[in-house]
Amino acid sequence: MTYYLSVFINGHFYLYWLLNISQSHSIIINEHSVQLGNTKDVTIMSYPVKGEHLHKHYKNQIVLNDVSLTLHEGEIYGLIGPSGAGKTTLVRILLGLEKADKGAVELFEQKPTLNAFRSLGYMAQSDALYNELSAYQNLDFFASIQGMSGKAKKQRILEVAKTVNLEKDLKKSVAQFSGGMKRRLSLAAALVHRPRLYLLDEPTVGLDPMIRRNIWTLFHYLKGKGATIIVTTHVMDEVAQCDRVGLLSEGKLIAQGAPKELMDHYGVPSVEEIFIAIEKAGDKK
Amino acid sequence: MRNLVAMAKRIIRQIVRDKRTLALLIIAPLLILTLVWFIFGAKAAEPNLAIIHYKSSDLLPAFKSSDYARMSPLQARQALADKKIDAYIDLETPVKVHLEGSDPSRNGLAMSKINKSMQIVQQINVKKMKASFTDIIHAQQKSIQEQQQTLRQMTEVMQRYAPSALTSIMQNAPKGEKPTATAAPEKVKLDVTYLHGNDDLNTFDSFGPAMVGIFVFLFIFMIGGVSFLRERTTGTLDRLMASPIKNYQIIWGYMIGFGLFVIVQSFILTCYIVYVLNIYTIGHLLDVLIIVFILSFSALSLSILLSTFASNELQMFQFIPLVIVPQVFLSGLFPIDTLPGWVRALGNLMPIHYSTEALRNIMIRGTRFEGWWFDGLILILFSVVFIVINILVIRASRPVVD
Repeated sequence: MTYYLSVFINGHFYLYWLLNISQSHSIIINEHSVQLGNTKDVTIMSYPVKGEHLHKHYKNQIVLNDVSLTLHEGEIYGLIGPSGAGKTTLVRILLGLEKADKGAVELFEQKPTLNAFRSLGYMAQSDALYNELSAYQNLDFFASIQGMSGKAKKQRILEVAKTVNLEKDLKKSVAQFSGGMKRRLSLAAALVHRPRLYLLDEPTVGLDPMIRRNIWTLFHYLKGKGATIIVTTHVMDEVAQCDRVGLLSEGKLIAQGAPKELMDHYGVPSVEEIFIAIEKAGDKK
Repeated sequence: MRNLVAMAKRIIRQIVRDKRTLALLIIAPLLILTLVWFIFGAKAAEPNLAIIHYKSSDLLPAFKSSDYARMSPLQARQALADKKIDAYIDLETPVKVHLEGSDPSRNGLAMSKINKSMQIVQQINVKKMKASFTDIIHAQQKSIQEQQQTLRQMTEVMQRYAPSALTSIMQNAPKGEKPTATAAPEKVKLDVTYLHGNDDLNTFDSFGPAMVGIFVFLFIFMIGGVSFLRERTTGTLDRLMASPIKNYQIIWGYMIGFGLFVIVQSFILTCYIVYVLNIYTIGHLLDVLIIVFILSFSALSLSILLSTFASNELQMFQFIPLVIVPQVFLSGLFPIDTLPGWVRALGNLMPIHYSTEALRNIMIRGTRFEGWWFDGLILILFSVVFIVINILVIRASRPVVD
C-alpha cells in the first residue's frame, strides 16, 4: 500500500518538475492519469517530520537533551547553533541514521520505514560521492536505488544537473571536481528523486556567494512546490531566509520560531544575538 | 533486485574506472606468482665438489671426474675458501669430507651427492672383502684336500692291518653334510611408484595450490575492505541508508559486483598458472575455478566485516599481519602436523586452509567433486556467517522499521 502511495506522490512531483523546469511535454500526458484521484489528499500532510523528546549521548557526553521538533509541510526550517551543539546528530536521528536513546521520530506521520525514504532527500556534511565515477554515473546510481529507471531517470539526471549548473561536467570524473562542484553534485544527488522532504546538513558550506545565492533560490523554488526543507547552517544571512529557525545550544533547543518574531521577542537586531540574550537571561536567573 | 543490479553495476564501474585497482586485482597476483614460480620451481643447482689424495686410492672409480674435480690439497683448500667448491673429499683412509658450511641448503645438496658416491665406495669395499674372502677359502680348501689325501692313505693302511677297528670308527664318524650352494642375494633396488604426482613434482607444484589461495585472498581482502571502508568514511553509506535500499541489498550488491570481477580474476589466474607456468595439475580447471571463486567470496565478506572495525585505510591494512600472515603459515604451505593442538585448531579456522586442501586434492590428487565438497562447503559457511554478521551490523546502525 505504502509503495503505491509513494508512486502517486512521485508522479505528482514529477508533474510539477516537468511543468516548471523541463521544456519537454511529451511525458506529462502520461503522468496525468496518475495525478487523478486522491493524490491531493495524500500529499497534504501537516507534519513531514516530528521528533519528540529526543535524548542522545555518546559515552559521558550529552549530545541531545530532550529535543522536540515538528516541521510543517512546505516550510524551510533552519537549525542553527555553534559547532558541537548537536545539529548533525539531530538531523541524523530524524533521518533514522542513528537511534535516539529516548524519544520517538515520525516521518510523514508514521514510524520511519524504508518506503518513507523514497520521499526524502539527504545531504550530509561530507560530499558522499564516488570519486572514481563520473558525475553522471553518481547521479545514475543514486537515482537507481531510489527506484528510477529508463528514460525518465536519464531525463531527470540532466534536469537536476542543469539545476545545479553542472550539465557540462556530467562526463567528468568526480575526482577532477573542485570543492564547490562536488558540493553541488552532492545536492543534485539529494534532489534527483524529487523528494518531498529535504534534510540538508550545511549544504552551502565552502561555496562562493554567487552559488550560495543560487542554491537558496533553488530552496525557495522547491518550497514553492510544496517541499519541506530542514537545513543546518552557520551563516546568519541564510537564517533570515528560513521560515522558522530552531536554536540549538549544548543539546537543547533553546528557542524556536520565525526569525523576525524571535528577534522582536528578545529585542535584539540579529539572530546571533538571541544566543547571547538567552545566555544572559540564564545567568540572571 | 533492481537495487542489487544498481549496486553491482556501480561497483563494476568503480573498478573499471580505477585502473590501478584493476591492475592490482589482476596483474599483481600474476607477477607475484611468476616470481614464486621462479624461486620454487627452479631445479636445484648441482653442488661443486672436489677430491684430493686420489692417486693412490682405489676408491677413485666411485668419484667420476665429471662430478668431482681432481685437486691438490692446497688447491682444494683455496677453492673452498673462495666458495668455488662446496666441499672436497680426502680419499685417504678414513675418508674425510670438508664442507664450505655457510649455506645449509648447499651443505645438504653436497652431502646427498657425496652420500651417493659413498654407496659406490661401499660397493668397492665389499668387492675387495669378497676377493680376500675368496682367497682365504681357496687356501683352506687346498689344505682340506691335502688332509683328505693323508686320511685316505691312513684308511688304506688301517684296512690292511686292522679292518674291525676301521668299521667301528666309520660307524661313529659324524655324517658330514654336503654344503648346498646358497643362492647369491638379489641386488637391492628400490622400485618407487607414486600414488599421486610423479618424481618431477617440484616445490612450486605443491606450493602452487596454497599460493593461489593466499594471493586471491590477499588482493580481494585489500580491495574489498578498502572499498567498503570508503563507503563508510566518505558518507556514501549514510546516503544509501537514507534511501529505500534494504540492508541485505547493500551487502549482496557488493558481493555480486566484486563477484563478477573475481570470476574474471580467478579465470585469468588459474589459466596462467596451469597453462603458462605449467603447474602440475591433473584435475579439472572448472573445479579449481569453483574453489578459487568460493574462497574469494569468503575473503570479500570477511574484509567487509573487518572494515567495520577500521576508521581509515591504514587501520584496514593493519589487519593484514593479523589476518593474512597467520594464514600463510598455517594454511598448509608448511607441515603443521607436529605443532601444538591449539595452533592446529587455529589453522582450522582459516579459510585458506580449506582452499589449499581442496586445491591440492583437485590439482595433485585429481579428485572431482567428492574430493573437495567438504572444504568447499566450509568455505561457503565462512562466507554465509560473515555475510549474516555484516547484514546485522548494518541493521544495528539503521534503526528503521523494515
